[in-house]
Amino acid sequence: MGDWNVFHLMPWSGAYAIYFFLIGISAAMFFFSALSWYRDEFVEVRRSAGYISFVLLAIGGVLLIEDLSQPMRFLNMINPAYLHFTSPLAWGSLCLVSFGLVSVAYLYTLQKGQDAGLGRKLAVFGALLGLGLPIYTGFDLTVHQNRPVWNTPLMPVLFVALSLLSAAAVAVFIAKGEKLRAMLRGIMLWSGGVVAAMLISLLGTTAYGGSASELTFMFMTSGSLGFIFVGLGIVLGTVVPIGVLLTSAGRQQGGMMLAGALLLVGGLALRYSILIGGQIVQTYF
Amino acid sequence: MSELRISSIETRGVPGKKRYAMVIDLRRCIGCDACMTACKAEFDVPLGVFRTWVPYKVIGKYPTVRKMFLPRLCNHCDDPPCVRACPVDATYKVDDGGFVLQRYDRCIGCKACMASCPYNARFMLPKHRTYTDITRVVDKCTFCHHRVTQNLVPACVQTCVGRSRIFGDLNDRTSEVSYLVSTLPTQVLRPEEGTKPHVFYIGADRGHTEIGRKIYDPQSVVELERETYLNKHS
Repeated sequence: MGDWNVFHLMPWSGAYAIYFFLIGISAAMFFFSALSWYRDEFVEVRRSAGYISFVLLAIGGVLLIEDLSQPMRFLNMINPAYLHFTSPLAWGSLCLVSFGLVSVAYLYTLQKGQDAGLGRKLAVFGALLGLGLPIYTGFDLTVHQNRPVWNTPLMPVLFVALSLLSAAAVAVFIAKGEKLRAMLRGIMLWSGGVVAAMLISLLGTTAYGGSASELTFMFMTSGSLGFIFVGLGIVLGTVVPIGVLLTSAGRQQGGMMLAGALLLVGGLALRYSILIGGQIVQTYF
Repeated sequence: MSELRISSIETRGVPGKKRYAMVIDLRRCIGCDACMTACKAEFDVPLGVFRTWVPYKVIGKYPTVRKMFLPRLCNHCDDPPCVRACPVDATYKVDDGGFVLQRYDRCIGCKACMASCPYNARFMLPKHRTYTDITRVVDKCTFCHHRVTQNLVPACVQTCVGRSRIFGDLNDRTSEVSYLVSTLPTQVLRPEEGTKPHVFYIGADRGHTEIGRKIYDPQSVVELERETYLNKHS
């Protein structure tokens, strides 16, 4: 009673969660397109996955730049004289720009449709750069030592798994071949299982952390983020779709699309609640 | 003390280098907010944001209650996480003195430094300011770098009516801050973060300076009064 403190804002708003979501799907969609050079099942989505990846990258890039308080200074992020490599954002900006350039070159090669060797090389190079996107976004959170939930080595791995999961959920809607759908079902099940296992670990380390971690756990499970994190993220967006995929309906196109839609809702909800969850307690300090 | 240095950025006990610090004696703070006002005047700090602020908490049980003030500012950490987090080197630590400062012309406003600061010491400047054209970048306390380099103390220290704030070089064994830190029990905020803050408190109780469980379910004053009334009259 009678406490007074300055009202502190959360530095990173929910828009970052949308950015994480889009950039994660973009990276893994490029990976699926690249996979088509090595696995015949993916050939049918080579072009469409490549284009979806690029469009999502462009939207994510605009969101990221728009969120800067000085949007035109985004060029500082690629200025070699300014780059500060102790920050994951510096690595991320390089990765993002390189991935964008390789994506353009890759799509141009696909459009021309002549040089398969070059297309394959660009695909591999782009996929490796794309892998850097969820990894850097994870590190972006991990490095903040004072933030519960964020400051765990799980984050980069979790973001890679979420990236694969969400992109497979998108790919289900454009896949026509039976073999590809079976492959995507497998990816969703495996990456969904990995995400579920990591969420259990994350909840454990958060609940048994210090006082700030414990309070964050309370906010994320039974507090203001409870519905989004537990309801939408864990139950509706991870457990239910995995359950659907394991039933006979999960092998049909309709069931897989339902699971895909739920996984997309869950992917966004999980990213949002992890992003916001790490910031709630700090606003009271 | 050198064994306590982990990062090469730290200036603890480095010969020939200054290591400025502030000691805040909470036994002397009366909560007059003169420090906040002096800081606002010195830097044209806009409404709604603060380089230094003085939150309070009412502690004890009636009739032995009192207000506990906890003046806050950037801790100018010896190992500052904000410097590591900045992608464009807009935040940097001055080698001699340990000031953690901001290059306004370079800041892109990604707010990574704000996310990394355990003390909420950083804030975003608004779009419009009255007298200053530095806007929409992250700002913070500078330990009045411009004054200290002219052999003056920070504005908040200058104006502190109770002499609660004391400023000086910790690497100078004859300074008042060195004397206070070495002879009296002092506390820093959130020592578990390993930032090695340069703001030391005398008389701070960690039970009151840390994040409390009640933030999970903050009750309004009205609700608390109603509860007290019901308990008393039931």
